[in-house]
Amino acid sequence: MPETLQYFLMTWTQPQLLFLTAIGTFAGIYIGAIPGLSVTMAVSILISFTFSWEVNNALALMAGIYMGGVYGGSRTAILLNIPGAPSAIATALDGYPLAKKGLAGEAIGLSTTISTLGGFFGILILAIAAPFVSEFALRFQPRDYLLLAVMGLLLVGSLSGGSMAKGVFAGALGILLGSVGLDPLTAEERFTFGYTDLMTGISAIAIMIGMFGVSEALDQMHYLSMPAIKQRLTRIVPSWQDVKKHLPLGLRCSALGTFIGALPGTGGDIAALMAYDHAKRSTKNPEVPFGEGAKEGIVAPEAANNAAVGGAYIPMLTLGIPGDAVTAVIVGAMFVHGLNPGPLLMIERPEIFWFTVGTLTLATIFMFIFGMTGIKIFTKIVEWPKTVLLPVILLLSIVGCYAINNSVTDVWWMLGFGIIGYFMKTYGYQLGPVILGLILSRLIDDNWRRAIISEQESVVGLFTGIFMSPLSLFLFLTIVFLLFSQTKLWVKLKTRVLGRSAKDVTIDPTQV
Amino acid sequence: MKRTLLALSLAALTSVSTFAVAAYPEKDINGIIAWGAGGSTDTVARSVAPHVEKILGGTIVLSNKTGGVGVIATKFVDSQAADGYTLLMNAENPQLYKVMGLADMDYSNFTPINVLARGVPVIVARKDAPYNTIKEFIDYAQAHPKEVKTGSTGPGGLTSVVLAMINTENKMELTAIPYDGDGPALTALQGGAIDVMPAVLGATLEHVKAGRMKVLGVVDKEAHALLPDAKPITADYPVYEKYLPWGPFFGVFAKKDTPEDVTAKLVDAYNQGSQDEAFKKLLADRGFIQLNIAGKEADDFLKRWQSVTSWLVFDAGIAKKSPEEFGIPKP
Repeated sequence: MPETLQYFLMTWTQPQLLFLTAIGTFAGIYIGAIPGLSVTMAVSILISFTFSWEVNNALALMAGIYMGGVYGGSRTAILLNIPGAPSAIATALDGYPLAKKGLAGEAIGLSTTISTLGGFFGILILAIAAPFVSEFALRFQPRDYLLLAVMGLLLVGSLSGGSMAKGVFAGALGILLGSVGLDPLTAEERFTFGYTDLMTGISAIAIMIGMFGVSEALDQMHYLSMPAIKQRLTRIVPSWQDVKKHLPLGLRCSALGTFIGALPGTGGDIAALMAYDHAKRSTKNPEVPFGEGAKEGIVAPEAANNAAVGGAYIPMLTLGIPGDAVTAVIVGAMFVHGLNPGPLLMIERPEIFWFTVGTLTLATIFMFIFGMTGIKIFTKIVEWPKTVLLPVILLLSIVGCYAINNSVTDVWWMLGFGIIGYFMKTYGYQLGPVILGLILSRLIDDNWRRAIISEQESVVGLFTGIFMSPLSLFLFLTIVFLLFSQTKLWVKLKTRVLGRSAKDVTIDPTQV
Repeated sequence: MKRTLLALSLAALTSVSTFAVAAYPEKDINGIIAWGAGGSTDTVARSVAPHVEKILGGTIVLSNKTGGVGVIATKFVDSQAADGYTLLMNAENPQLYKVMGLADMDYSNFTPINVLARGVPVIVARKDAPYNTIKEFIDYAQAHPKEVKTGSTGPGGLTSVVLAMINTENKMELTAIPYDGDGPALTALQGGAIDVMPAVLGATLEHVKAGRMKVLGVVDKEAHALLPDAKPITADYPVYEKYLPWGPFFGVFAKKDTPEDVTAKLVDAYNQGSQDEAFKKLLADRGFIQLNIAGKEADDFLKRWQSVTSWLVFDAGIAKKSPEEFGIPKP
C-alpha cells in the first residue's frame, strides 16, 4: 500500500512531472476548444515529439492533454455554438442558449465543476474496479453493440428539436454519409463513384466542423448589426444549492460515461449524447425547458464525457485494449517507450497503473483550476465584434480541418457541409442528429453484420441469442421500454396503476 | 519582369541539380505513414526515424495519411515529385492492390529504401476452445463445417491470406466475422465472439503470455523464440513449406525514378539507422524479424511475396482480377 501511494503521488511530488501535467492540461483545454484540433491528433503528434523522453514524462503530458481536451470542447460549444469536439455536441444544445441570455460565465462555471466531478468519478472507478469493469466490457457481443447503437438511434428524438420528421431525416442523412467509403466487410466501394479520395469515406470531423462551425458563422451574418450580448460575470462558481440539486444526475451520467468509455469501440461522444437523452427523459420539471438553456442539459453530457476518460483507460491499463481512439494512440506510445501494454502490464509494471491514476487525478484538479480562472477572458470572445469573430472562426475551422488528415479534400467537404448545414438550420433541421447518425453508422453497420453472420445469417438465431443472454435481453428490454413509454397505452396504464391524473404526464411527440 | 527573372534563376538552379543533390537533404523530408498512429507500421516507422535522421543530417517530418488499406498514402506519394523529399512508409498491402482492384499500382512504382522487418503469423484461439494445435483445429473445423467463427480483417489482410493457404491445402468451412484490424478482433476473441484468429505474433504475445488466449501454432517453418512451445505449421503439414516464410512486412519507399544518389543516401542512412540497438530491441520485443534489406534483395523479396500471395488470394476466390493480367508469375 505505501508503494501504491508512492506511485500515485509520483506526479504530485516531482516538479517536472507536475509541470508537464499542468502544461498538458492547459494545452488540452485549448486544443479541445478549437474545432478540428482534436485530442487524438495532439496525442499522435506527441508520440514522435516525446520519443526521446522518459516514459513517465510522456504519459503525464498525454494524460493532461486528454483530460483537458475532453473538457475544452464545451467552451466553444457554450460560447459560440461550435462544439470543439464531437463529445461536446450535446453541451451546445443548452449551453449556447445560456450564453445568448448573457449567462455564459455561469454555464462554463457549471460545466467546469461537473466535468471535474465526472473526471473524478471515472478515475475512481478506474482505481477501484478496473479489472472487474474490463472483464464485463469484454462480454459485450456484436449483438449487444448493435442494441446499444439502436438505443443510440432513439436519441434522434431528443436531438431533433421541434419536428420529429426533420430529425429523422437528419439522422438518416448522417447514417448515409457514414456509409461512404470502402465496405468494412468486403472492401467493396460504396458511394465512391471511383474517386480514391472517397475510399476513406468522408471525414466525420470535417462534416462536424462544417455543420457546426462554418454554418454557424454563415448564420451569424444575418445578425451583423446586432450588438453582442453583454455577459454577466458576477457569478461563475456555481452555488452549492445548484451543485447539490444536479449531483444525482451528474453521478448517474458519470457512471454511464465511465462504462460507455470502457467499452472498446464506443467513447465519450456517444456517452455524452446518451447522457443528454437520459437527462431529458428523467428530468420531470426543468426550470427552463431543454433546448432553451436547461442546466441539466449541460450537467449530463459534461459529466459523461469526462467520466469516459477514466473509463477508456480501464481496458487499456488492465488488458492492453484501448477504450477509444485516444487510448489507442497511447497504447502505441507505450510500445514506442518500451512498455508492453497488455494483461501483464499491471503485474510486471504495477507502478504504471498507479502513476496513471495519480496523473489523471492531478490533471482533473488542474482542469478545474484552469477552467475556473480563464472564464472572464474567454467570455470576452463572445463580445468581440462579429466582423472579427466570424473570420477567425472560419480560419480556425479551415486550419483545424486540414490538420486532421493533412488533406485539402477534407477542407472542401467541410465548406460544402457548412453551406448545407446553413440551409438545414434555416429551414428548421437540427444538425445534432446528422452527427449522431455519422457516429452510429459504423457501429450499426459493423455490428449488425457481425451479429447476423455469427448466427449463420438467421434472424431467428439472432433473437434467440438476444433472449438467451441476460445482458442482451436487458438492452433489448430497455429499448422496448423506451419506445413503449411514449405510447398512449403506457400513459393510460400508468394512470390506472398509480392512480395519478393523466395531466401530470403529457406525451412529448419529440421524445420517441 | 520579376517573374521571368525568378523563372530563369529557377531554371539555373535545376540545371545545377547535381550540386543540389550533393547537398541532399537540404530541406525537411516528409515521411507519409499509410497507417494510423499507434499501429505496427507507425510504431516501426517512428522508432527508426530518429536514428536515420542522425546519419542523414536532416529532419524527417512524419505524418499519418490513413485510409483505403493504404491506397490514399501510396497514391499521394506517387503523385509527388521523385526527388526523395516524400517517402512512403507502408506495409505489404500495395503488393495486392492490383489483384484486389484497389489501385493500378504496387511497389514496382517505388524504389525500396529499406524493407525493415517482417511479422510472423500465428493462429490463436479462445482459451476454452476444444483444440490445442493447428492440426486439432483443422480436424475440428473440418468435422464441424461453418461452426468455428474466425475474425476477418478484410480481403487481402493477413487473416484472409493465412486462411486461403489452409483452405488450399486442407479444405474447411469457417464463418468469418469482419473486424477493423487484428486489435478489435483479438478483443472479440477474448470476449468469445469469435473462436479462432490468425494474427501477427506481436499483437497476440501479451495476451498469450497472460493466458487470455492460447496459441495453436506458428505459420512459419520454425518455432519462434518468443513462443517456443508453439509448433510450426510445417511440423504436421510439410506441404505448407512452399508458401513460407510468409508474413506482413513494413518498409520505406521512394517514388521510382528518384535520382540514384539520393536513394543511395537514403538506403545507407536507413541501413545504418536500423542497426541501432534500441530499434532492434523494439522489433524483437514485438516479435518482428528484422530484414533490413534494400536493392535487388528487397526487389526479389517483394516480387516473391507478391507472386505467392496474389495467386493464393486469387485461387481462394477473394481477388477481383487474375494475377496473370498484370504479369505476376506463379510461384
